[in-house]
Amino acid sequence: MRNRLLIGWTLVAHFAVAQQVVSPTPDQAGSLRGQNTADYNVMDSFETGYRFAEVAGSIGTFRSDINYGNGIRLLNSNLTVNSRDGHGRWFDQIVLTTMGLGNDPYQSATLRVEKNKLYRYDMLWRLDDYYSPGLPVAAGLHLMDTGRRMQDHDLTLLPQSKIQFHLGYSRNTQDGPALSSVQLCLNGSVYCGTTGNEFPTFENVRRETDEYRLGGDVDLAGFKLTLMYSWVFFKDDSGYQVNGLETGDNRSSGVTLSQFQRSEPFHGANPYWLGNLTRSGKLLAVNGRVTHLRGTGNFFLDENAFGVTPLGAQNQQVMVGGDASRPQVTGDLSISVFPASRLTIVNNTSVNSTRIDGTSDYGQFNMATQTADFVSFRYLGMRTVANATDLHYRVNSWLSFYGGYHYSDRRIMDIEDFAVSGPFSGAAYEQSNHLQTGLAGVRFKPLKAMTVNLESEAGRANQPFTPVSERNYLALGGRLEYRLKRFTFDAAYKENYNNNSITFSSYSAHARNYSANAAWAPRDWFTLGASYSKLHLDSLSGVVFFASPEAVSPLTSNQVYISNIHAANLLARFVLAKRVDLYVGYTITMDTGDGRSTATPMGATDPATLIFAPVQTFPLNYQTPLARLSIRLREKLRWNAGWQYYNYHEQFGLESFYQGYHANTGYTSLTWSF
Amino acid sequence: MADGYVGSAACKTCHADIWFNFYKNPHYKSVASGDQPPELTGCEGCHGPGKAHVDARGGKTTIPRAFSLMEPIAVLDTCLHCHAGDFQKTNIRRSQHSLADVVCTNCHSIHKPATPQLLLAKKQAELCYGCHSDVRAQFSMPFKHRVNEGFVNCTDCHNPHGSFAPDAGMAESTAMTTRAGGNQEACLKCHADKRGPFAYEHPPVRVEGCGVCHVPHGSTNAKLLVRPVVFTLCLRCHNGADSLGTRNNGVPALSNTHNMLDPRYQRCTLCHVRIHGSNSDGYFFR
Repeated sequence: MRNRLLIGWTLVAHFAVAQQVVSPTPDQAGSLRGQNTADYNVMDSFETGYRFAEVAGSIGTFRSDINYGNGIRLLNSNLTVNSRDGHGRWFDQIVLTTMGLGNDPYQSATLRVEKNKLYRYDMLWRLDDYYSPGLPVAAGLHLMDTGRRMQDHDLTLLPQSKIQFHLGYSRNTQDGPALSSVQLCLNGSVYCGTTGNEFPTFENVRRETDEYRLGGDVDLAGFKLTLMYSWVFFKDDSGYQVNGLETGDNRSSGVTLSQFQRSEPFHGANPYWLGNLTRSGKLLAVNGRVTHLRGTGNFFLDENAFGVTPLGAQNQQVMVGGDASRPQVTGDLSISVFPASRLTIVNNTSVNSTRIDGTSDYGQFNMATQTADFVSFRYLGMRTVANATDLHYRVNSWLSFYGGYHYSDRRIMDIEDFAVSGPFSGAAYEQSNHLQTGLAGVRFKPLKAMTVNLESEAGRANQPFTPVSERNYLALGGRLEYRLKRFTFDAAYKENYNNNSITFSSYSAHARNYSANAAWAPRDWFTLGASYSKLHLDSLSGVVFFASPEAVSPLTSNQVYISNIHAANLLARFVLAKRVDLYVGYTITMDTGDGRSTATPMGATDPATLIFAPVQTFPLNYQTPLARLSIRLREKLRWNAGWQYYNYHEQFGLESFYQGYHANTGYTSLTWSF
Repeated sequence: MADGYVGSAACKTCHADIWFNFYKNPHYKSVASGDQPPELTGCEGCHGPGKAHVDARGGKTTIPRAFSLMEPIAVLDTCLHCHAGDFQKTNIRRSQHSLADVVCTNCHSIHKPATPQLLLAKKQAELCYGCHSDVRAQFSMPFKHRVNEGFVNCTDCHNPHGSFAPDAGMAESTAMTTRAGGNQEACLKCHADKRGPFAYEHPPVRVEGCGVCHVPHGSTNAKLLVRPVVFTLCLRCHNGADSLGTRNNGVPALSNTHNMLDPRYQRCTLCHVRIHGSNSDGYFFR
């Protein structure tokens, strides 16, 4: 019954909680049955129109977040061609969908061409126009304005036979202008201290990854064997340069840069094997998987910098060359046992070994002083063995229990093999961590339409790798679902508490999530949806820091972060006179922080307060009302118009940067479909 | 015809609305092939032999496998009868969805799908938001992956049918994330430049994974960091605490050159630009 209600609901609620971006228009005009042509049925729809955006405030943040612009777009299109008897001459199905073509920042196209028994071809192409002003990480010196293009092609031969062949190709490129930064002392030292300076550099981003896949499936004697080999090649040929005088971020250093050039080609490969063997039966199912990857990278860096320091004109060259490799082996074995129809027991054992090694000969030459520093390479290796047993027992149709015990053991080895004097010693360090986790849950149906789920998970680790890793944690969760044909309500609660007591300080994090979701469809012409979530997070940790130039003694303090995010969402859809579709929505996301009204307490002089108080909390307000109107003009033609307003406001700002903006975006379009 | 089987032609007599468009359904292959046994063909391939249903002139209870009346485990078993061998579904028995009795028909609508290829009951993001409303809230943050825009799908990063143990972390519950290139983090499928291998890895990136610093769903930080300001993120680990390695046993405390009252030292990645890993510098300067 629950499933029937769910399916029924999904049909009713399809438009009640549609996606948050105002276009493209999801409605279809005309018949969904398509038109018959020869032995095929063809369904087609496309929506084309004009999109506009008007922005005030931080355009950089808007482009980083929304990024819609002005112009004519093919907002959306769908083409489906189906063979009516499943015996087409060259194909039995073509499905082509596109989104945002014509200059939207997010464009995609998918294509499937399939001939029963013979082949299946899938293609996915995507373009992301990425812009980031880089304010919150580097005060705007890491601006990026790049495009990422991704495409995946997969061809399966003999898709319905016991022996199948798979061929695939993927390509991922990123290019465009960007800013980066370089920290230089220009005095021949690796470690600059207060005498160093940071300079913006122009970066010409050029990255490319190509992957070729070849594999197959064999279905024999109840076993299914999957084998795949993949050749992955990547290269990063981004270059960096500065032409002209740069005074840098630390003007008191007296270090200026007049010319800078860096080339650092990085080419490599990540070929991998994958093998999987599976068998599924009434009482037992077994699955085993092995992967082996051998990542390699060859690199060279040549950097030249010309500038002036208080010691006079400087000319510094840095040259680095070498390679790195990362072999990785993974194995999994899952055994599922079904001793009774109401009992499922699954045991999984996994092994993972990752090593990073190779050679890197780092040479930094100071042409002026004819001196050089050399450093060599670092090793990092991880080996994890884990075993998990999960049990699920269904007492009857309204009550079930589940539980599990997971154990994992991880060993990490690190060799910091540096040849220069300094803080590195070249010694090897090893650490092992054991994590034990217990999980228990119960699910029951007190009413025909209601399901309640309660669960908890507790974990103990003896030597977590980082201060923020899970050590002693407890997760509690509950969910209530109430689902009728025209009304549904969900409420969920999740709490996660982690306490990681470490040598210097304790780190604790406490997250509580509350969420509720309701949808109501009282009439076929009216649907309503609403959701509310509160996401709470607080964390506390100790910190050692310095708060004056070249200080001798460190200070200690607590670092606190408090976030209270309230997100609400209200959507309504009306169908008027069977030809007018009106959709309105409103979303608001607020982080109320810890309730304070100013970032830093008035009159504060304590360094710890001045440094950490302004970033303990980050209240903000983000609102997006939207509306869409779609009118059927003809059987196959609709006119659409949409508007969405964005208002983003940060209460305290970020350092001296104001990232807030407000924007009106919208579109008008025609949808033609049959 | 095997015992109890009547063939799909008998079904369309009453269920013409379903049969009329069934040739567009991926499951129609079983009919078109013409060489499958009755228990794997058309309507009866999923619903079981229909003779009793026909003889009774209808009625749900006479259908051997009426999915709306079946318990979740029975739905799962029925679908896995054909789909168990799919590599993407090899972990479905131990997935969090299966433990929560979220099975095939909770997400897939075989006869009235919103997506023709995967037969999803709704568009993917809305389908997932239906239960994961806290995730909907995360994607309502000012900075997020473009899921609401339709550019990124949940399944780009997650496998709702269950996933293998990840290479990072402690092989704990996986949030059903997919794997990139062998068994690497899903993030690397798109962010290939972060994959390396690098001569100088930032150890937490490899040991604990991207999630130690990033929240991929949505954040107050444009780089999807777990904190709005970068230095508060870095100081969570670089706080003087000990761990593995040399300086302060591996997790470096700040050096005394870092006067944290000076804003230039609060912009950690201004100098440490290669924070995901470097081929040239153990401090990630270049």
